Amino acid sequence: MNPYLLIVLLTSLGLGTALTLSSTHWLLAWLGLEVGTLAILPLMAQRHHPRATEAATKYFIVQATAAATLLFAAFNNAWLQGHSDIQHMSHPLFTSMITLALLLKLGLAPMHTWMPQVIQGVSLNTGLIVSTWQKIAPFILLLQIKQIHPPLLTIIGLASILIGGWGGLNQTQLRKILAYSSIAHLGWILLILQHSTALATYALLIYIFMTSATFITLKKCKATTINMLTTTWTKAPTITLVAPLMLLSLGGLPPLSGFAPKWFILQELTQLNFIPHASIAAMAALLSLSYYLRLSYSITLSLSPNNLPECLQWRVNYPISTPLSSALPAALALTLFLLPLTPSALTLII
Amino acid sequence: MLKILIPTLLLIPTSWLAKAKWLWPTTLLHSFIITLFSLAWLKNTSETNWSTLNPYMATDPLSSPLLTLTCWLLPLMILASQNHLAQDPLVRQRIYITLLVTLQLSLIMAFAATELTMFYVMFETTLIPTLILITRWGNQMERLNAGTYFLFYTLASSLPLLITLLALQNKTGTLSLLIIQLLGPIPISPYVNIIWWTTSLLAFLVKMPLYGVHLWLPKAHVEAPIAGSMILAAVLLKLGGYGMMRMMLILSPLAKELCYPFIILALWGVLMTSSICLRQTDLKSLIAYSSVSHMGLVAAAILIQTPWGLTGALILMIAHGLTSSALFCLANTNYERTHSRTMILTRGSQMILPLMATWWLITCLANLALPPLPNLMGELIIISALLGWSWWTIIFTGAGALITATYSLYMYLMTQRGPVPNHMISMNPSHSREHLLLTLHLLPLLLLVFKPTTIWGSAY
Repeated sequence: MNPYLLIVLLTSLGLGTALTLSSTHWLLAWLGLEVGTLAILPLMAQRHHPRATEAATKYFIVQATAAATLLFAAFNNAWLQGHSDIQHMSHPLFTSMITLALLLKLGLAPMHTWMPQVIQGVSLNTGLIVSTWQKIAPFILLLQIKQIHPPLLTIIGLASILIGGWGGLNQTQLRKILAYSSIAHLGWILLILQHSTALATYALLIYIFMTSATFITLKKCKATTINMLTTTWTKAPTITLVAPLMLLSLGGLPPLSGFAPKWFILQELTQLNFIPHASIAAMAALLSLSYYLRLSYSITLSLSPNNLPECLQWRVNYPISTPLSSALPAALALTLFLLPLTPSALTLII
Repeated sequence: MLKILIPTLLLIPTSWLAKAKWLWPTTLLHSFIITLFSLAWLKNTSETNWSTLNPYMATDPLSSPLLTLTCWLLPLMILASQNHLAQDPLVRQRIYITLLVTLQLSLIMAFAATELTMFYVMFETTLIPTLILITRWGNQMERLNAGTYFLFYTLASSLPLLITLLALQNKTGTLSLLIIQLLGPIPISPYVNIIWWTTSLLAFLVKMPLYGVHLWLPKAHVEAPIAGSMILAAVLLKLGGYGMMRMMLILSPLAKELCYPFIILALWGVLMTSSICLRQTDLKSLIAYSSVSHMGLVAAAILIQTPWGLTGALILMIAHGLTSSALFCLANTNYERTHSRTMILTRGSQMILPLMATWWLITCLANLALPPLPNLMGELIIISALLGWSWWTIIFTGAGALITATYSLYMYLMTQRGPVPNHMISMNPSHSREHLLLTLHLLPLLLLVFKPTTIWGSAY
């Protein structure tokens, strides 16, 4: 893509999220969300492939619907309450409506069906942006809304974890697997949102690190299906070594950083006596772990019966180090080694 | 504690920086020195049982034999893996040793942990290196399935344990073992205490393994490489036993009737798994099921919560650790020569490798609990404790001891006696390394005959 165009689009993307983050009025928040949506559409559709076009269209329709619902509910609330402050919303119907709109934007169950198809249709880099950056703005708005009907968030959170786990089980396309993983992780975040905003932010942060590391790794290996992962050992042996740890971190195994959000979310839920919720969430995380394990089997722990010419890579076509790939060591380090630093990380967020 | 942990941690740079020719001798020597230092833990000098105390870790007579066993096993694993890794490229050898060392680190921290949260995190940490050992260095296609079973059986039972620990912290305000042992009975409503009890112990029962949830063990043991089998049999199973002994302190008022089904399951498992040993064709599978059988006795002994029960359980855990690991080493000597685990194909080894037959004999005799070895000590104390609990258990334990003797002798006779198969044209003679390996397994076992109080645990 033309570099000037890329700069304009990425800047608009950043601007959109920044607008939403800094707004106290619903109109400005909606504006930021729409700017973000519009900015990413050309990025999604830059490959003139029918699937990319379809993904961009679906994304636009879904996000526009959510934004329109958001605006509708915000204006109704302003009519009834007299002000349009995000943090002082009190009408239960419109609060629920706005929450559902934001959850549709995030791609949580049962409004999740667009996520796998959209992330599958776009390139890995754009998929990274959709999975990580585009979650920040709706999440911040969710944090600020008080008095959301608690069962709503709990049921949607648990449903997302379950659907994120079950949906990814039958997939061979890596981007769909990462979409379902995103749904599951956002479910965990939603579960704790009403109880502890700091933990929700921490969980989102760790999720962003882990997902970034995964997307960048896949981009480096140029792998989009599970079969394509099996030749990683010929292209990048070091990544082959570290990739299972990264995937198991996504699965939430100690001593990797992915365990920290799960641990603290379970602790918070247990302290508030939501033990059935904690149990269901913990067991549903095992579903996700099974497909992460399958991926790590493909990458490192088993050798596929490949053709010998595919294995000999003496003339390596390394891409020039893109800014994204230079972020890989940082993302990987944060994905693997952050667990002992959790107390200090939490104080940074609280 | 740091004088063991830091050298173990630095074993990782050692394995990466040592020259190719000196990799195995250096790591072996280094790990032996660590083991020498770890022997100091066996002397308990404290009135309150906790020694080498620091804010996060401590040793007491329950954990110090297990810790010493863990440290003892690392050089043995390095010794055992040398041959089958000789064909691997150098980087892969270094990675293998690094995996063994990370496993060692997490095991030391697990056994020495005073805070139950740290114990849990380290308990789970042991899963990743073991998984990688089994699935990457296993030899057959079934290893992937074995790894999945291993990971998911353990995790499905330990996630409820995590929630129970968090709930316990919520109720009592602390998870430190030093404080919890002094707390009174914990008030829990009568229906919840069943769930509480089950979820606290399920993780350890699966790890031990208890008979109904033991399916992961034969798969994992058979598919793992020799170091994986050794560490699984010798130490990882004992992690379950150790965890149970620690958790039951907290649960004691609840445990009176709730443990009955599990004791029955454990004892029935002793009978069932030892019977299935008699029908095994795969040598490693036989040893794996024998592990389940011995651990069933240990599980029953821990569940009845008497001083003799706990003592017998600890003695049997240590003795079985050494014996089972020795059996896997012996099976591996067979496997390295014939690349087959089928017992019928590797008969009559006494004619070919007579000194190895001596080790086979001593190890099989240890497995069937011959006096005066600590295996018998443990089993006898456990049988007496169970008899004191209920005299019907003598049926299970007596029959179990009988069948154990039968399959141990069966294993010895199948592999050592009988006609040498016609297809075995040449077998490498026994390496001194293999003799050293087995001596290092059996010598502690023989020495423990003279001083069993080192592994008696804190019940006395």
